[in-house]
Amino acid sequence: MDFDFSSLFAFILFGLTIGVVYGIVALGISLIYSGLDIVHFAHGEIYMFGAFFGLVFSEQVGVPYPLALLSAMICAGVLGIVIERVFYRRLTRAGGGYTVAGMGMIICGFGMSVVLQNIAFLIWGADAEPFHVDLGEPYQFGDISLPKSYALTAVMALFLMAALHFFLVRTKLGLAVRAVAHNKDIAFLMGINVPLMISLIFGLACALAAAAGTLIGPMQSVQVEMGYLMLMKAFAAAVVGGFGSLPGAIVGGLLVGIFENLGAAYISPSHKDIYAFLLLILVLMIKPSGLFGVEARVKA
Amino acid sequence: MTVATAIVRPFTQAVGKLSAVHRLAPWLLVYLLLLPLPYVLSGLFNDYYVYLANRICIFILLTVGLNIVKGFCGQVTIGHVGLYAIGAVSSALVSLHLGAPFWVSFPIGVLVAGVAGIIVGLPSVRLEGAYLALATLGLGESVRIMIAVTPLFGSSTGLIGIPTPEIGGFVFDSFERYYYLLITATMIGIYLSFSILRSATGRAFMAIREDTIAASVHGINVPQYKLLAFVISALYAGAAGALFAHMPPGYIHHNNFTIIEMVTLLLMVVLGGIGHIWGGVIGAIIVTIIYDQTLEFYFYQPLLFGLSMVILVMFMPRGIGGVIDRYFVTRRFIGAREGKTDGAP
Amino acid sequence: MTATKNRLIAAGLAASLVAGMATVAAAGEIRVGITMRMISENGQKYGQMVMDEIDMINKAGGINGNTINATLLNDECKSDKGVANATKLIFQEKVHLLIGSTCSSVSLPIVDVTAKAEVPQIIPHSTNAKITQKGSAWVFRVPVSGRYYAGVNAKYVGENIGKKIAYLCAADAASQNDCEAMQSQMKSQHGVEPAYAAQVQEKEVDFRTHMQKIKTANVDGIMIAALAETMARALTQSYEAGIPASVRRIGSSSASNSPVPSIAGDAAKGVFFAAAYAAADRRPIARLFNEMVRKRYNINAPDHDFSQAYDLIRIVELALGRADLKLDSGSLAADRTAIRDAIASVENYQGLASGPISFCAAPTPQCRDGNRTAVLIAYTKGGENYVTEVLARVTMPADFGL
Repeated sequence: MDFDFSSLFAFILFGLTIGVVYGIVALGISLIYSGLDIVHFAHGEIYMFGAFFGLVFSEQVGVPYPLALLSAMICAGVLGIVIERVFYRRLTRAGGGYTVAGMGMIICGFGMSVVLQNIAFLIWGADAEPFHVDLGEPYQFGDISLPKSYALTAVMALFLMAALHFFLVRTKLGLAVRAVAHNKDIAFLMGINVPLMISLIFGLACALAAAAGTLIGPMQSVQVEMGYLMLMKAFAAAVVGGFGSLPGAIVGGLLVGIFENLGAAYISPSHKDIYAFLLLILVLMIKPSGLFGVEARVKA
Repeated sequence: MTVATAIVRPFTQAVGKLSAVHRLAPWLLVYLLLLPLPYVLSGLFNDYYVYLANRICIFILLTVGLNIVKGFCGQVTIGHVGLYAIGAVSSALVSLHLGAPFWVSFPIGVLVAGVAGIIVGLPSVRLEGAYLALATLGLGESVRIMIAVTPLFGSSTGLIGIPTPEIGGFVFDSFERYYYLLITATMIGIYLSFSILRSATGRAFMAIREDTIAASVHGINVPQYKLLAFVISALYAGAAGALFAHMPPGYIHHNNFTIIEMVTLLLMVVLGGIGHIWGGVIGAIIVTIIYDQTLEFYFYQPLLFGLSMVILVMFMPRGIGGVIDRYFVTRRFIGAREGKTDGAP
Repeated sequence: MTATKNRLIAAGLAASLVAGMATVAAAGEIRVGITMRMISENGQKYGQMVMDEIDMINKAGGINGNTINATLLNDECKSDKGVANATKLIFQEKVHLLIGSTCSSVSLPIVDVTAKAEVPQIIPHSTNAKITQKGSAWVFRVPVSGRYYAGVNAKYVGENIGKKIAYLCAADAASQNDCEAMQSQMKSQHGVEPAYAAQVQEKEVDFRTHMQKIKTANVDGIMIAALAETMARALTQSYEAGIPASVRRIGSSSASNSPVPSIAGDAAKGVFFAAAYAAADRRPIARLFNEMVRKRYNINAPDHDFSQAYDLIRIVELALGRADLKLDSGSLAADRTAIRDAIASVENYQGLASGPISFCAAPTPQCRDGNRTAVLIAYTKGGENYVTEVLARVTMPADFGL
């Protein structure tokens, strides 16, 4: 049998379209890591909350989809800021990364993820909720059909990344955020309001996760348990791209998406979720700094 | 404090006297005291409590192992359930497909988990903090998915009818009987963790935890000890897994090894006290009892457990073990001061 | 140090003592323990229905003057929790009868627990064929075993749809069992191998790779065996991928659960599956039941989870009425045996299930898979107010598929 290139193209396309979603979540995780030096294990739950916020705004409040997306981002951002201020601040003050507090942060993140998931369960129940957004007929590329929501997601992802890049590089506030990410003490001495910047970083990261959630909702329906797997894939994406590197996060997301789709298509579909971890472990063992060569920070 | 002192002092003195006879003496005594526990429990209450005691024993083995790598060597691993699953599945497979008795399949299960520990541990030599957490999280979940999709490992139906251990006609087929096996394994496990942590190896672990660079300067082979810590904890997890697999009704399923189980283990270790020698034991007992008592509030249970994890980490990062440690340290200071004022040596 | 441990154990014992005291057995009370998956909305609702029905029996005077005391626990579809619940119910609550579980992977180990403790167990809806094949004398199954569904489905598919079938099977116990049985039935009845077969994750969200492959394989039908929500996603994505409606979608028995039509919407239209009960049933008992569920639980068309739970309660009521129970402190074992024998004597019970339910005394699957009638159902309209129609109703011979 001839090798079917049109199918291969289709699988890569599928990988790319789901990969950008991983990329957006990974972007948030990387942002938090580069800014606060912690890994946020409850980020998958923020993503899930974001999807539910989008659903509530779109179906119950009845605002148009783009506005629902924006509102979900704002709500999740506020939620993230509140969580960070109330719970994480105490731990992050003691330092992140490879410290006893860093371990505390990982455990705290896990605890928070259980709490958030349970709260969502108590509010919305365990069943998947359909998220109806009618964007019209799918695009057709020969034999391959691509639903419009995937195309929209890709466009949104690029837009969000560009906006984030612009914010960090071109604005004064972005400069302050980068200064805080670089060194909190010096930033403080330069007169930067460090606690505010930390809140800002956290809020932005959570808003990104909510964007991903609202974008993927119409395609995969919204469910309380959706966060965990997304978190794993986003971690893989962030590490593959270079933990803490923002362009790396998006590229990592695309790579994870393509890798798992090709694996599912040509090796074994039932092991689909393992491929992302495989990639993660391979990268960690061979080149822990990831593709974009961020220095793997060791604090002793 | 004085009341607590009055209660604790006779115990500590008794333990001191016993250790003077032989260092194994207090262990043997406690072991003998704990042996008739199932009869006390089923007499006073019912067999369900024996079942709970069995669960506690398995959790103790898991948390003690986790505490070695996490609390003493300071490595953040979240893949412990993966090793637990590997131990369970390999021991079950050996006895189901090769017909080997428990006494052969158990060491094989433990060994396979140990080998898996080396594989998991290898990146840990290079990775630290957050990276290690991510790598182990990925590995733990991969193991579960492998079990879930591979028919040989039980896949969705699980492994059914794993034989119960037997020794010279004595079959460990009820909760009471299985308890003997578990309590023996648990006591040996706790004792070994004690002797490891009080040896030079244990001190090397703690040195690595406190300051990796300083430890390496003092001639500690950091990668080697990190790997060793991983393998030891993997052996514990494997033993727990194999014991869990053969426990009546002899059934394992991939959803026994999810992230929720890992979070429960984390809670146990954090509650008991990370880095406290009894931490895992205390945590496993308390969490299992609380879990059982709140069984009917199933919708709110995760909230309770998750919130207590968050609050513990925030306000009591050293857990109950930390409180006990502080109490003993304070006692020592008070004792020293009293000694001075009395003029005694 | 050891002292601290002793103290903690003492504290633990004291705590358990308080708990132990609270459950003192009362005479004239039949204790029933239930362990179910109480995490989905449907699960909660029919768990509630079981408890409500028991309350109603009690209010109407109980059974031969005895009241039923039911304890409901959640096993979250996890085998270790299920075993813990069953152990607690059997030894601590000292139940006379255990109802559970809804998940095959939980029922499988519980069968061993009840067999050893000699407690009758009656299963509301686990379809995995192995449950009754274990040969326990204490287990009864009200739902239709997976082996019957496959036979009915395969016959219909081979005769009306075609023989080139693609299979997408999720990795949960019920779906995998349905899928494997279907493939082997297609082979034995029509002599065909699957045109495409893939196992996917239990909660897979992205099926586009498979749909693309199935599209190029040019099949007559797609069998999607998965839990409700996963199936709904797969159905939607199969249309998004451009597989035409002329390729029939065949569901596993969980297609009868309401999330399938409500999430999949229009994509659910035309899906057919074998189940134990159809809301489109025209019998008066079924209409009354639909009306009752609609009123009490606000469910438009009850699926077979509800009907099976309802049948189960009626069978339990019938059996408890027949059993000669003493219900004093020393008669627990005798009462449990009496209840077991009473359930085994149920014959030709006509309830919501489409055919009669009969049990018998031998500990074999032929005796303990009581319900042998599968209904072939198709969705004619998706969405929240979905509509179903009955294609066929088949009662299988007792030893079919063994």
